[in-house]
Amino acid sequence: MKDFLGFTRRNLLIYFKDVLAIIFSLLTSIIVFVLYLLFLKGTFVEALNGTMRGLENIVNGADIDMFVNGILLSGILGSALITIPYTCLQTIVKDKEAGVDADICSTPLKRWKIILSYFTASSICAFVMTSIILTIGLVVLNAMGDTHMTAASIAAAYGIVLLGSVSSTALFMVVMLLFKNSSTSTAFFGILTAAAGFVIGAYIPLSQFSDGVQSFCNLFPASHITSMIRNVLLSGVADSINNDINGLDGGAFISSIKDTFSFNAHTFGTSFTVQSSVIYIAVIALVCIALMTFAYNKTYRRR
Amino acid sequence: MKIIEVKDLTKKYREHTAVDGISFEVEEGELFAFLGENGAGKSTTINMLTTVLEKTSGKAIIAGHELGKEDDEIRKVNGIVFQNSVLDKKLSVKDNLLTRGSYYGLSKKEVLKRLEPFAERFEMKDIWDRKYEKLSGGQRRRVDIMRALINNPKILFLDEPTTGLDPKSRKLVWDYINYLRKEYKMTIFLTTHYMEETRDADHVVILDKGHIVSKGTPAELKSKYAHSKLVWYTPLSDRAEAIITKISGKFAYDADHYNIETDQNLTEFIFEHREEIRDYEYIKGTMDDVFLNLTGKELA
Repeated sequence: MKDFLGFTRRNLLIYFKDVLAIIFSLLTSIIVFVLYLLFLKGTFVEALNGTMRGLENIVNGADIDMFVNGILLSGILGSALITIPYTCLQTIVKDKEAGVDADICSTPLKRWKIILSYFTASSICAFVMTSIILTIGLVVLNAMGDTHMTAASIAAAYGIVLLGSVSSTALFMVVMLLFKNSSTSTAFFGILTAAAGFVIGAYIPLSQFSDGVQSFCNLFPASHITSMIRNVLLSGVADSINNDINGLDGGAFISSIKDTFSFNAHTFGTSFTVQSSVIYIAVIALVCIALMTFAYNKTYRRR
Repeated sequence: MKIIEVKDLTKKYREHTAVDGISFEVEEGELFAFLGENGAGKSTTINMLTTVLEKTSGKAIIAGHELGKEDDEIRKVNGIVFQNSVLDKKLSVKDNLLTRGSYYGLSKKEVLKRLEPFAERFEMKDIWDRKYEKLSGGQRRRVDIMRALINNPKILFLDEPTTGLDPKSRKLVWDYINYLRKEYKMTIFLTTHYMEETRDADHVVILDKGHIVSKGTPAELKSKYAHSKLVWYTPLSDRAEAIITKISGKFAYDADHYNIETDQNLTEFIFEHREEIRDYEYIKGTMDDVFLNLTGKELA
């Protein structure tokens, strides 16, 4: 066990001791945040105000603000759950390139423990970093007003972050098999950081895209995770808004903004509930874990 | 007692054969040198013997354990200094060594205890908390050797350990190697393309294109494949050549001297012709000559 824990510790240190790696792993989240400050918030609030014509005097403006802030936080968390595990797992490619894996393979550390350790370290990094972001986000949102979140929904948010960390790591473990050197994995990271914000609907709500694009984006577990985070972060605010409206619109306003901001993922005509999204993500993660176990075992044996 | 026994060891990559049925033995406590140019198969052999690479065929027994069947046992008795640094650049020397120690199931306390005798000898105290990337080439090599000693290895594999180092650092590395041999009776398995590094080896194997072209002690190899040379500084003359033919038929005149290839003991000859032979050099055959004669190539 000491060998596994030691190698996991090493993989954690590689990430946490590299300030640049941490900054780059948060790049999309930082971009989402900056864009939000610059114009996204205004655009989202305007869109909401447009939808609630006639209800302006009933709906609490602070709730609308909180709703939009929650959308921002879900976008930051969703993108972090893509870029952090990817950055951590680049260690696999760098280790191969630098011959570090030869050093590891020359020790009694079992091959399966090597694979499991990369997986565990990346999941921990993603969970710790995203949990820090979530905690800071919740503290800031609470300081700004009433989030209407219960202890259960806060706990659920951390649970989703954990699921997101593990599933993203599993997916990217498979992706890392494609790279022979760090220059190609870094080039792919460039594409990933640019695309991540769009895929999870952080820049523009996915509902603004065509059905085909929405379906494609929702194939990725990260989109489901972001939708689930929106559900747990914003259900309280949405309920509060609905209570303000007091049934005047038969729930049409909340239903409309939940559709607009993709509270439920849609893929090829199928709408996912939170529960079915959990199952979908778990299945994807398990398939990836099976694939990576098979492929990495083969890779290390072939060395 | 033999600590490494290799028989018909082969490594193939599809059509390419990197190591082709080599056989050799290494005695416990000796300095064993593998000599060859880049691509000769030295690193591939080390990687197979250290279980990093799977062999294609052949057999190897390392410290009584069979390669391919008792790999975990082999890993426990091997220490390796790789050709390129394989420690983590962003981590401190201490973190690097402690994490590597854990791969052998060692606790922090155990690692520190094991490395304590070497720490002072290897002048590690000043660099203990420094990041690996901030170290000089020589300091990095020291840490690499320390890393290889974590598990108290019986055999220390050194894959071109001095390549790229300045002369001072090379000397230091050799001081450490000699210290480990003397104090710990450690078996050293060395690959190198520096001829002078094989001078003190107990046995040398010369590898070319995956084949062993020769093996033996440096003295045996030199006596078989290298010739000593007498350089006699004198004007070109029939008289001089008449003297030279008494000891060798192989000679040539170059600028202001004769190069005379000979393996004879020249003490009496020079004494006999002391009036004529006043300015001369006697150059003993080197491992460079051995390598050149065996492979037709020159090494760095």
